[in-house]
Parts: sequence; structure tokens; C-alpha cells
Amino acid sequence: MTEKTTDPIVIVGSGHAGVAVAAGLRTGGWDGRIVLIDAQHGMPYERPPLSKELLTPGSGDKTALLRKEDYYQARGMERITGHTVESIDPAARAVVLAGGSRLPFHRLVLAIGSRARELPVPGAQLDGVLALRTYQDGLAIQRALVPGAKVVIIGAGFIGMEVAAAAVKNGCSVTVLEFQDRVMKRVTSAPVSAFFEGLHRDRGVNLEFGAAVTELQGEGRVERVVTSDGRHFEADVVVAGIGVLPNQELAEAAGAACRDGVLVDEHCRTNIPGIYAAGDVTRFTSPFSGASQRLESIQNANAQAEALVSDILGSQPRTAEVPWFWTVQHGVRLQTAGVMHPDDEVIVRGDPDTGKFSVVYLREGRLAAVDTVGGLADFRPAKKLIPAGRLLDPALVADPAVKLEDTATGEHSRSDARQTAAALA
Amino acid sequence: MSTNTLTVVDREGQQHAVQWEPEQSLMEALRDHDLPVLASCGGTASCATCHVFLDGDIVTSLGERNEDEAELLVDAEGFREDCSRLSCQVAFEDRLDGMTVTLAPEE
Ligand SMILES: Cc1cc2nc3c(=O)[nH]c(=O)nc-3n(C[C@H](O)[C@H](O)[C@H](O)COP(=O)(O)OP(=O)(O)OC[C@H]3O[C@@H](n4cnc5c(N)ncnc54)[C@H](O)[C@@H]3O)c2cc1C
Ligand code: FES
Repeated sequence: MTEKTTDPIVIVGSGHAGVAVAAGLRTGGWDGRIVLIDAQHGMPYERPPLSKELLTPGSGDKTALLRKEDYYQARGMERITGHTVESIDPAARAVVLAGGSRLPFHRLVLAIGSRARELPVPGAQLDGVLALRTYQDGLAIQRALVPGAKVVIIGAGFIGMEVAAAAVKNGCSVTVLEFQDRVMKRVTSAPVSAFFEGLHRDRGVNLEFGAAVTELQGEGRVERVVTSDGRHFEADVVVAGIGVLPNQELAEAAGAACRDGVLVDEHCRTNIPGIYAAGDVTRFTSPFSGASQRLESIQNANAQAEALVSDILGSQPRTAEVPWFWTVQHGVRLQTAGVMHPDDEVIVRGDPDTGKFSVVYLREGRLAAVDTVGGLADFRPAKKLIPAGRLLDPALVADPAVKLEDTATGEHSRSDARQTAAALA
Repeated sequence: MSTNTLTVVDREGQQHAVQWEPEQSLMEALRDHDLPVLASCGGTASCATCHVFLDGDIVTSLGERNEDEAELLVDAEGFREDCSRLSCQVAFEDRLDGMTVTLAPEE
């Protein structure tokens, strides 16, 4: 910070990570220029409400902003909206905007997020085929979820299931097509999937597993979805929620190392001096498990923003927070701490039939992750137990009457837990 | 509608005058004044980083905490049954003008 410069810290992307970086720089004492650039017009906004609040009946077109409107100007943050950064010139330390204008930078932060993966099948370009990533996408889906509409959702991940819940609430007839054999398979275990499947079916969502979509058909506008077993599903609107791709091309073209994400170290530095990346676009090594990962969550966007701000300002970084995530479907909350692995030992705490239970994931006897459903009692203890790497007693864990923090056997060993996790990854 | 003025005591004991605008939750007012409230869940009672202490009478007058808020708070650092609230769950009200808000310790 003592370094004198007139060039700004340029932040490309004004989503969760970009805005957190700008805010962190100012509160951390950076008094030089800050320029926030975003391809989208308007005020930076929260994404989680797009698939939750914005789609529920009678919600209007307002959505939560990341900061109130006069925040940026009051802190001397310059905003460039509706402009894409097309390339980076690392040698000259400048970014090039669409149209050719150049902006020199002192430090560059790439907080450019991810984009919805497109359906790789014929007919994906038909009208009425939608994805959900931006506020505009949210509004388009909101308009399409009219009572009686036949909604086909492709993909039973978080986004697909949140949209399914909103769609039935709007009186639509809803079918979810999923290639796998259960919902949210990538991120949770069978008991949690089974619970949410029951919840969705009870509210009238039709779930079809093992359904590989091969084609979308219609005259200009989508009319039906065809699966590999020859079945046809009538559709007025199709929402594809089949995952995201990191927007890494800009970084890659500038020479940044990428592998399904821009590779960053624990300070969010890329391999190019002076250039950082944070949020959905990054891939990094978990300080908890040693696994290489890309995390699509608000918690990760905020934590990485904080890490790189400390590095730029030379301040003391905070100890890493365990990754966590939440989703709400039909008013029921699933909240996760840690990252589960399919090989983990799965222990259910409590009775899923009550609508309130947890699932604990043990790896070599240590707590790796927790899913809490319909309650949060195990969430915060888990956030402390995971980094501590303590051995838990499986019999005690299975007894919901015993507090999670009281299930530790007292033995420690981090180093081999890390090695095992790295081997699993 | 006019804004409320709050006195906010940070974790170092420093006092700040904070303008609270109608339609903002208390958390949003704190966050937008750069107080160290991470608010990592955007105000959905999922993270507890917006934990504050309010005057006991005010807490009583705000009514019951919902279940998520209650479960997050009981284990929170420095939890006080009579004073603790998640500031994202406290909506703007004219009658709260002039209230004192103390940031709870960080985890
Ligand atoms: C509908 C929905 C619901 C979600 N729900 C949850 C949830 O409940 N909990 C949770 O933890 N996470 C949730 N997420 C994920 C979460 O929103 C992301 O992890 C988070 O937004 C990542 O932040 P980011 O800053 O990396 O990217 P983003 O917030 O996506 O911001 C990236 C920005 O960069 C801009 N940009 C990209 N390229 C360029 C360029 N070349 N030039 C200029 N600008 C550019 C984009 O326009 C965009 O505004 C949800 C996501 C969606 C879409
Ligand atoms: S902002 Fe997360 S609980 Fe209030």
C-alpha cells in the first residue's frame, strides 16, 4: 500500500466476488483508484434470489442489490457498465475494452464468474429454451411460469430443483429430466436426495431419472423434449440447469494457466504477476482436503475476495473458512458445510420423516462435511469440527440426542486426513 | 419516509452514526456503511455473520426469532438470549430511530 501509483486496481466483473474485492480494498485502507467493469448494465445484484424470491408468485421485478445505489460513488469507486473486457495485455499492464479503448492497471482482478452450460442437442436455440444465470434470465423465466404452463426442466441440480419448486408454486405442470438416478447427485448423498425427491413429488413435480435429452423440437418455439429412450415430453418452456462453465477464456488468452478454471494459489494469484482471480472462475487446492476444486458459491466468492485483498494490501489474511452452501426448495432449507466425496462414510442423524435431520460425512473417521435439512443445529459445530480434523465416534454421531461437538473421540491427526483426501481427489 | 439514525458500536468499542434507510434490513444498513459485517448469505439467516446485540426491550418488542435464526444464534460467539439478533432479520421501523446496535464478536 505504500507503493505509489496512479494506475487503478481494475476489477473485471461486478458480481459477488468483484464487489467484495472493491469493498474490501476500501475498508482495508486502499485510497488509490478502483475501477469496476461489468459486461452487464445496471447495479450489481445478488444471484441467489434469482431462483428463489424472484420466481415466487407476486414478487415483482425488484431484486436484491449487493450494495445500495450510492455506495460506489460515495467511496470513489468508478464503475464501467455494459462493457466487456476483450483482452489483457500483461506486459503493458492494461486491459482492452470492446471498441478498443485501453485501461492501464496497477493490479488486475478477474472476477468474471461462470456461465450456464448450453444444451449440446439440436433445437437448443428454439424460443422458450431458457437458462438461469442473470437477472434478465430470471425475469424471462418469471414471465414464462404462468399457471398451467408445461415446464420441462433439464437437470436436477440446485438450480433445476429451485426452479421446479417455484414453477409448481406458480401453478405450472412441471417435469424434471435428469440423466443420473437421483436429484443433486453431484453434491449430496442418497438420503438427502431421497428426502428432496419426496418433497418435490408431494408438491406435484414429476421426476424422470435416467432421462438423456437428445433433441428439442418445435416450430420456431419449443414444443417438446425428446429423450434417448424415444419418449416425448410436451413443453411450453424448457429451463436447462445442466451446470456452468468458468469464463476463463480472457485469462487463458493472456497466458494464465487454466484447467477447467483459472488456476490460483491461496492468495488468489494467477501465474501472471499482478493478476488475480476470484470466485466461480477459479480452480484451487482446498486447504482442508488437499483436493483441487472449483466452488460455485457465495461463500467462496467472498472468501477469495478477502484473501486477495489481504495480499494486495499486505495485511494479515484471515484463516480460511470451511466452504459452505445453501439451497431452499419448497420452503425447506438444505445447508452444507464442507465438501462431501462419494466414498465418504454416510451417517444419518435424526429421522428424515420428521423433515428435520442431518447427514454427516466421515472420511477416515474425521468429519469431512455435513448436510443439514430443515434445521441448522449441526451447521456451526460442523464448521469448527471440519478444520480441526478430529476423529468422531460413528455410534455417537448416529444419535441425534448427542451434540455433534460431543461426538469427537479426542484424537487428532490432520496430516494423514489430508493425504487420504488428496488420494481420493 | 425519513431515515433512522443509529449509534453503532464496533468490536473495538468505537461509535459510528449510521443512517438506516427505509426498505433496508438492519444488516444492509450496517454493511453499506462498511462496518465489519460480512453478511455472506445476503440476509437469508444462513451465516450468522450479521449477529448484533440490541437493547433487551427492543429485542422483546421485535417478537420471536424464527427457527433458523434461533438455531444459528444459540451457538454463536457471545450469544445472549435477551440481546442477540441476526441484523438481517430486523426490518426497518420508524420507532427504532436512535437505537444503539453493538456488533457481536466475530467467530
Ligand atoms: C440462480 C442462481 C442461484 C444461486 N444460488 C446460490 C445459493 O443459494 N448459494 C450460493 O452460495 N450460491 C448460489 N449461486 C452461485 C453464486 O451466485 C455464484 O457462486 C457467485 O455469483 C459467484 O460470484 P462471481 O463474482 O465469481 O461471479 P458472478 O457473480 O457471476 O459475476 C461475474 C460477473 O462478471 C461479468 N463478466 C464476465 N466476463 C466479463 C468480461 N469479459 N468483461 C466484463 N464483465 C464480465 C459478468 O457479467 C458478471 O456480472 C447461485 C447462482 C445462480 C445463477
Ligand atoms: S446476513 Fe447471513 S445471517 Fe444475516
